[in-house]
Amino acid sequence: MDGVPTGSVIRSGVIGGLVAIYIALVGLYTKFADLALVGEQVTLGRVLIVAPALITAYAVTRPRVVAGERRAATLRQGLAIGALAGLITGAVFGAAVAFAEWFGVERIREVFVAVTEPLIDFLTFGMGVPAGLLVLAGWCVVGGLVGGFARTAPLALRRPASVGIVAVILFGLLQRIVPIVFVELGYEADWLYSPITKGLTWLGGLFVFALAAGADILWRRSGDGTRDRIRTGVYERPAARIGFLVVLLAVLAVLPLLLGTVISEVLGQVMIYVLLGLGLNIVVGYAGLLDLGYVAFFAFGAYATGLLTGAMLNTTTGAAEPAISADLNFYAAVWIVMLLAAGVGLLIGAPVLRLRGDYLAIVTLGLGEIVSVITASKWAQPLIGGPQGMRGVSKAEIFGLNPQDHPQDFYYLALAFVLFALFVSWRLAASRVGRAWTAMREDEQVADAMGVSTIKYKLLAFAMGGAIGSLGGALFAVSLGSLTPASFEFLVSITALAVVILGGLGSLPGVVVGALVLIGLPGLLREFEEYRQLIYGGALVAIMILRPQGLIPNVRRSRELKEEEVTQDAWARDGTGEIEAVAAVLPGGALGVEEEDLE
Amino acid sequence: MATRTDGPARGAQLGRFERVPWRRVILLLLAILIAAVAVIGAYKTLTLPADERYTASTWKDFIVLGIAQGAIIALIALGYTLVYGILRMINFAHGEVFMFGAFAAYFFSSAWEESGFLDSNPWLSMAILFAIAMLVSMTVAILLERIAYRPLRNAPRLVPLITAIGASLVLQNTARGFFGAQSRGFGVPAALEGTWTIFGLELDRIQVLVIITVVLAVAGLSLFVARTKTGKSMRAVAADTEIASLMGIRVDRVIVTTFAIGGLLAGIAAILFSITFESVNFTMGVRPGIAAFTAAVLGGIGSISGAALGGVLLGLLQSLGPALILTGYEIPSAFQLKDAFTFLVLVLVLIFRPGGLLGSDEAEKV
Repeated sequence: MDGVPTGSVIRSGVIGGLVAIYIALVGLYTKFADLALVGEQVTLGRVLIVAPALITAYAVTRPRVVAGERRAATLRQGLAIGALAGLITGAVFGAAVAFAEWFGVERIREVFVAVTEPLIDFLTFGMGVPAGLLVLAGWCVVGGLVGGFARTAPLALRRPASVGIVAVILFGLLQRIVPIVFVELGYEADWLYSPITKGLTWLGGLFVFALAAGADILWRRSGDGTRDRIRTGVYERPAARIGFLVVLLAVLAVLPLLLGTVISEVLGQVMIYVLLGLGLNIVVGYAGLLDLGYVAFFAFGAYATGLLTGAMLNTTTGAAEPAISADLNFYAAVWIVMLLAAGVGLLIGAPVLRLRGDYLAIVTLGLGEIVSVITASKWAQPLIGGPQGMRGVSKAEIFGLNPQDHPQDFYYLALAFVLFALFVSWRLAASRVGRAWTAMREDEQVADAMGVSTIKYKLLAFAMGGAIGSLGGALFAVSLGSLTPASFEFLVSITALAVVILGGLGSLPGVVVGALVLIGLPGLLREFEEYRQLIYGGALVAIMILRPQGLIPNVRRSRELKEEEVTQDAWARDGTGEIEAVAAVLPGGALGVEEEDLE
Repeated sequence: MATRTDGPARGAQLGRFERVPWRRVILLLLAILIAAVAVIGAYKTLTLPADERYTASTWKDFIVLGIAQGAIIALIALGYTLVYGILRMINFAHGEVFMFGAFAAYFFSSAWEESGFLDSNPWLSMAILFAIAMLVSMTVAILLERIAYRPLRNAPRLVPLITAIGASLVLQNTARGFFGAQSRGFGVPAALEGTWTIFGLELDRIQVLVIITVVLAVAGLSLFVARTKTGKSMRAVAADTEIASLMGIRVDRVIVTTFAIGGLLAGIAAILFSITFESVNFTMGVRPGIAAFTAAVLGGIGSISGAALGGVLLGLLQSLGPALILTGYEIPSAFQLKDAFTFLVLVLVLIFRPGGLLGSDEAEKV
């Protein structure tokens, strides 16, 4: 075929096979083998079998520049290339499975703990080695075909199909949340979600697919004019905006009633990280100071709340009074905690004023780790309980709500805090202070020369960020009622950073979405728990390489990240933003990235 | 940065005069306070009643231990320093490169421990273990550069740092998924247990091996960078990437070589670390990694001799610091605060002398 880079197809196919082997070795197949998405047969594990071939084929059929001319593959080429790439992926993967069977699963297991007989059974579809391998390769070819189709089919076909498939997978993953909503609203959910497999039924899968694909077709059909009207309507007309806000608040208010305690608890956790994200967003997103020790504020907020509301220290013999302690009402204490945290922010900020970029990041990392180490040491025993921690943090009862014991009540408390922090962040960004931060972030020396006191505004960023982060800590203390140093590790800083970066630095909706994706999704699926860190790390790398401006970018911030490419950036043009944002979250991601370039 | 070459205008000097003092004064006071705390702590420790005091031989043990562990840190630090020197980026995942080398060697050493090969041929088996760990660490380092860092070569400076943090998490949890979460005991050949007496000093055999290996590795690296053609091109790229590429140096290849060398050294460090602590697990790279980074900054990042010096100094500080300074204040379990010491040193160096001991004293690292 003309213009088909055979070498590149083979190379991509092999890489796809290696990715599949990696997924097998790291244990994802074993973990997700039984997580049914649709019916009994379509499990997340099986989707993961197809996914490497699909992504490979999607990547390898991308338009290429040949002799200065952009060439997109035709549908027939796309399918052929996709099938070939899928076949190579399947061959590499199958060869690895055959090797494992021949070499002896038990012997490999001594090194790679995930390689077990059930894994081989799963990968060969229970048919044993020669026959099952053909099925495996066959599914990889199917994956390749779908990938090629998703790239080269006419837009009117592939877009609804992609949106539909992504929606089905998403609803399949939300199997713990959607049925509960249905039941709480008084509807039957058994036709949508099977009570046996927990996943979608076939009917449910079809329904979701049709709904999502249909919505996409309608949205495309409605034409640019209507789309723009709806968009500007929501963003610019005050009445529409207020109406939108009212509806949003109403939904947020009834949400916990619909979702029950388990999911309210997850949402509570999400909101703790929204607070951390918002605080860190001020420091990193607004002021451009990369803080890797943000856990310090989280820990400070939590322990200070404990101390101010009369918590006791755990000791080997029972409980003891901390060296410094007060017995305030939580709602009085929280203001003091914020003030003190702002003070801590100043203390941390002052010595590092002269440092920039990665040096600042490392110093803050060091300061954060000092806090973690000291919190866990015996030296800190008399004040905050050291390794044993403390218990009996205030229950924060108010208006008959009891946030500590009832996740739904906690949800309302957290929501109030989050709305407060969102409001503060939003107003700050639009204020003189916010503009000073922006100037400083974009070029510190120029800002200084223009009369922005960088010292003052840096300190202010640390103080504000610290105060909001300590709110997250205070909430965390209330939610558990007891504190141990294990909760205040470096990982907290990284998680908060991942939340901010995934959503888009400097973007408030981005922080909320980032927390929902990174904390909410793993919280809803217990199976993810073990792979949480792997997902965070992968998300950080993937976002930085593929989409450094985040899912819901802050426009000005993203310009800084891709300065030279700003004019050809897909997000900068109207229209592609939201769709990409949804697509990029899911496996098979980035469905809409080069849409417009092709047509 | 910010070369202010507009001549000694009076206004500029006045501005300087007005702005600097309060900051300098605060830093000076802070420095005096820290020095006082350290000196008083040391004095208190040394004048403790005889039965509570550490004996001279304990102090000797602390010092040898500090040098040996510092030597391991120095090897890892070289990896940071080389990469920073060339790319101006902190390879945060370098600790994980080290961890993978240790795991690879573990599987061989545990098999040989069972078969008796480890005890019957200690030197041969150690040599092979070194080769395996070096090979695996080098491979991981090269893959890391290829997959995570190369696509971001021209991105703003914080982007690769964030990627590196992500890569570090990914590698850690990959090891967890591959090899399991539990710690595993690393076998040591019987020939390396016990002590040797050298110049009248009784020294642990492993510590002697560690120190000799590290001295050889650092000497080898210095010769490599100073004498070979590849070393020369590394120095050229470090000095100016763009000009180097104009001079016909293949920058990408030099960068890969740099990562590979860092990986080789991390592999050596991995074996030395594993035989010292006799255990491997998936988080073993984190603390040594940060300590090594601290050492590199302490010595002056980008400088090879600086990394070596920084490593040994930090090792000594970690082993002597808590005992010498904190014991005097009767702080319980002072060694729990060993890592806080590392980080404190890191923070203080960056605040007071960002260029490190052997580096130039640039106030602003942009």
